[in-house]
Amino acid sequence: MAKGNNGAVGTYILIVLILGVITYVEFAIVEYPQAWLGQTWTMVLLAALSVVKFLLVVLFFMHLKGDDRMYSGFFSSGMVIALATFIAMTAMFILPRAMNYGEARERAAALEGHAGEHGEVHVPEDVAALIETDGASRPLAERADAPPPLDRSVTIEPPLAAGDEPAYEVTGAADQAAAPAEPADAPAEDEDAAAAQRPETEAPGLQAEPEAAEAEESAGQDAAAAAQPVEWDRDMGAQVYNANCVGCHQGAGQGIPGAFPPLAGHAAEVHAEGGREYLVQVLLFGLQGPIQVEGMNYNGLMPAWAHLSDDQIANVLNHVIVEFGDEPAGFVPYTAADVAGHRGDGLSSAAVLEVRDQLGLN
Amino acid sequence: MMTRLGWRSTRLPDVKLLMWVFLASDCMMFGALIGTYLAYHNRSLVPPFPVDVFDIPLTTVSSFVLLVSSFLMVLALHALRIDDIPKFRLWTFGVALFGSIFLGFQVYEFVHFVNAGLSIHHNLFGTTFFVLTGTHGIHVAVGVLWLLGFLIQSYVRPTSSKDAVYLEIAGLYWHFVDIVWIVIFTVVYLVEFV
Repeated sequence: MAKGNNGAVGTYILIVLILGVITYVEFAIVEYPQAWLGQTWTMVLLAALSVVKFLLVVLFFMHLKGDDRMYSGFFSSGMVIALATFIAMTAMFILPRAMNYGEARERAAALEGHAGEHGEVHVPEDVAALIETDGASRPLAERADAPPPLDRSVTIEPPLAAGDEPAYEVTGAADQAAAPAEPADAPAEDEDAAAAQRPETEAPGLQAEPEAAEAEESAGQDAAAAAQPVEWDRDMGAQVYNANCVGCHQGAGQGIPGAFPPLAGHAAEVHAEGGREYLVQVLLFGLQGPIQVEGMNYNGLMPAWAHLSDDQIANVLNHVIVEFGDEPAGFVPYTAADVAGHRGDGLSSAAVLEVRDQLGLN
Repeated sequence: MMTRLGWRSTRLPDVKLLMWVFLASDCMMFGALIGTYLAYHNRSLVPPFPVDVFDIPLTTVSSFVLLVSSFLMVLALHALRIDDIPKFRLWTFGVALFGSIFLGFQVYEFVHFVNAGLSIHHNLFGTTFFVLTGTHGIHVAVGVLWLLGFLIQSYVRPTSSKDAVYLEIAGLYWHFVDIVWIVIFTVVYLVEFV
């Protein structure tokens, strides 16, 4: 520990000069980026410089160099545990997300292939319970709570030409006044038409199924296209829900009162009240701030899920609207294009709350 | 000296051993805090984000200030070991002064961030950043008070090279605070702009 008077001070001066120069170099690297170095090597260089500074201070200013080994032993073990904690946390938070895209998808594909061969997939009990709760794993027809057959009491004729008054005919007991004039074009083909369809679902008992247009012969090819019910991937919807949403919104979309709002019923209601596009925005940009759902106040944070694909978002939206209760009348399933159209909206999660307020949902 | 420092079977001054053990545990705490900061990095939903508020030139200057204080710390210890009390007082005061300047920078930075809309409960970045740098700032403040106490004590009762081990452990603590900042400066501030 004892050093020559001038020798020790000389060493300290040398060390602090080196430390100063390194700090300046670090600053310069960041302030005047060197393109030839590349991002990865810049990171490596910064980390290396930081480690050198760290070691210089520990060895010379804290005198670990030449001091009793017991000190360095204690300190190193603390450092090792700290590093292990650090690495474990980084792994926990960063690896699962990376796996979502690559390995997890491959595994799911492999599992499906396996199911094809042997007809049965081993599902752990806790996972099975989760899936069973929302019933999404079973075909719709087999479910005890399957929605009743559609009531096709309303016939809507698709528009013939741009200038035509859209004609519709009410054959059931539905309230005519509540049915707005709107086209029943195939939503996959015409986004605007699909968006325009949303208000009519408010009418009780009013069924505006696109395939109802079949009754009219006059529309030709377009009508034939419109007659096809839009198919969506129920398996993907359930899968995305169980992988991402179930933790907060629970297996049957019931939520946790006061903490996480319910989706069952509520999502369909929001959709019916003009929130079709708002729901896409919630998924893409999140939602933050005070809301009220079924008389209960929530002030939390829905994260953004923009890292999911357009297909995944569309299908999970269809899942929460269709599978957690009766399928809303006239519901036109979301398509990937519905989601893609909003990716560029660039909203903050607080701005999405404003959209919600404008819809009068609070 | 043997009896006063209470040497044990380790043949080491136990106050110093104790300080190293404390620093080892403090490593774990800062490791967890830095890990938390990184785990939530890029997960804030609303701005301001780190690139919006960080000021690298300013932080570089405050890093220099802390490095210089570490240098003054070894000078103060060296002066006390050779019983050069005036210089010991000068350098110790210097350490406390530079530590206070560093804290001044941090207070300035925090106020600037809050004015930019970043509070501890605003977003994940705010929460993890203020908890990490705030914990470090408290460490610096404790070090400043400790060293000022040492300085005042040297006027109250005679201080000599026999007390060097106590200044040494204060110094160990001070240098540790410096190396934590070396890591934070790189991991939190610099890497953000690469």
